[in-house]
Amino acid sequence: MFNLALSNLTHRKIRTGMSVLAVAIAIALLLVLVGLSNGTLNEVSRRMESVEAEIVVRDRHFDIGSLSGGKLWEKEIPSLREIRMDSRPAVRKVIPVFIGRMKLAGLSQNVFGINPEDFPYFAGTRKILSGQLFADFDSPLQALNLDDKPFSSDDDTKSSEKNIHHSLPLVIDRRLSQASVLKVGDTAFYGGSPAHIVGIVETGVAGRVFAPINRLRGANGIAKRTAHMFFIKADPALQTDQLRHLCDKIEKSTRNSRSATLVANYGQVLADNFRNLTIFVSLVSVIALIICFLFILVTMYTMVLERGREIAILQSLGAGRSVILRQTLMEAALICSIGTVLGIALTFGARWLIETVQPLMTIEIRIHWLLLAILIGLGGGCLSALYPGYLALCHDPVETLSFE
Amino acid sequence: MNDFLIKTEKLCKTFRNGRLETPVLFDIDLEIIKGEFVAIMGPSGCGKSTLMHILGLMLSPSSGRVYLEGQDTALLHEKKRACLRRDKIGFVFQRFNLLPTLNAYQNIAVAEQIRRNQPDGQINRALAAVEMTDRAQYKPHQLSIGQQQRIAIARAISHQPALIMADEPTGNLDSAHAQHIMDLFRTIHRQHGITILMITHSQTAARSADRIIYMNDGKIQG
Repeated sequence: MFNLALSNLTHRKIRTGMSVLAVAIAIALLLVLVGLSNGTLNEVSRRMESVEAEIVVRDRHFDIGSLSGGKLWEKEIPSLREIRMDSRPAVRKVIPVFIGRMKLAGLSQNVFGINPEDFPYFAGTRKILSGQLFADFDSPLQALNLDDKPFSSDDDTKSSEKNIHHSLPLVIDRRLSQASVLKVGDTAFYGGSPAHIVGIVETGVAGRVFAPINRLRGANGIAKRTAHMFFIKADPALQTDQLRHLCDKIEKSTRNSRSATLVANYGQVLADNFRNLTIFVSLVSVIALIICFLFILVTMYTMVLERGREIAILQSLGAGRSVILRQTLMEAALICSIGTVLGIALTFGARWLIETVQPLMTIEIRIHWLLLAILIGLGGGCLSALYPGYLALCHDPVETLSFE
Repeated sequence: MNDFLIKTEKLCKTFRNGRLETPVLFDIDLEIIKGEFVAIMGPSGCGKSTLMHILGLMLSPSSGRVYLEGQDTALLHEKKRACLRRDKIGFVFQRFNLLPTLNAYQNIAVAEQIRRNQPDGQINRALAAVEMTDRAQYKPHQLSIGQQQRIAIARAISHQPALIMADEPTGNLDSAHAQHIMDLFRTIHRQHGITILMITHSQTAARSADRIIYMNDGKIQG
């Protein structure tokens, strides 16, 4: 019976090919969309979790996606450092981060504005591969005053030195450097203002782009010492439960205007922030799958309609309802099996293509998603073939053989 | 009863299409002995094919009894009828009804797979019986019509059925091919002792049978 299914499919090569392609595209679309959204979020959360701090504090209304909502103030830092647990100081260090945004390598990048002396908390064991770390001004006002002076486009050496002093120094990670083909000394633009690359750091640090916090504030026209996040380095003696308790204490001390989360749980925070994106991705995937399975249904329906005589012959040979239904399902399963395998191959191809064209994008393909895709491909295909299979059962062999 | 392969009692068939009723068979009483070669003749529309489809368990009678090897088949569930059809009966059609996407060997193999047999030996024997061993890998469109009918016969006899039902098996063939096919039926009947029930319009073909039954207007004559 397998031979019959196979020969039926190879007999109509183009139609079978189209059906296989429909399944393949739907499966690939599902895997690429899920892989891209999860890959991007996981990559960002892994980088954030690499920060050598235990807790991240944000204003409760701050939205990382749009950088909108409430901000933090550096003047809050002393009160945070006073928090005690078991009569011991619980907070060792508060690291303010001001986040800006600029376009590099064709993608919008978050710029982490930090104090230069805090850089080791972000870099950990990762080294600056070329160039050096930036220096900062003492206050954002200094940067703002500098911004009032026009940027010179003259090409003489003196102007060039002034421009370097004028422009925002940036440290970028190697992956971004490779993607944007930027190296130390190259110029970029932060908004309309000039910026230049002063260092390249190993990939894996929390931000792809770092800038000095006061100069970044100035570049954003902010004169005050605000921040979007505080990373908190806690007392190393604190266990996870105590760190959670510390989060509660921080929130209470700020009358719940601030949200404190374990850095280890940052992935969940990101997922919550981008819940709409996840819903959108799921919706698009489901629509793609529905269209694919409708295609299978129509294909199998057409096959059954035009193969009435064959079904009647099988019935005359003694094939019962189960044999006829199994035959229809076997053909659908064959189409879906080949389509699913092709879809998985297409997914790896698409990943290679996307990561080549957009090296900063990460597509994660996990084994359990592959298994789910196989299950959806085969299960959905067979479900789609049930109605055509039922129609095949309703064939009257006598009528068909008499009038064909 | 035990000597009869097929026996019908007061067999009637009426086709219903909404309010329209078309009676086709009236009170058919028929007995066919095991190993008999019977031809049924009659004008078009007299009910020959309907009778064959009922005896071949592809249609249910409207009333009356149909016994196959002593078993009343009229009230059997479709699944049981399919099993009986699969194990006891082989069909040969006027238009051969081979599966066009499969080769000769695979056409017979499909029938054997439906019967859940391990088919190799039986298929080769059946192909040899119809002298088509050398055409086993040919697809139907690569065979002449006479060869296609031989493959159809090989498919019908591969499982050594109790009954072969042939619906105008020479109707699409020229006289030379028709003669070959009838010779083949006689050989199978003689060598294997299989009961053959054949519908035909051809007097020549009917003369190969042990007995000829004439039908007219849904009734058996004489």
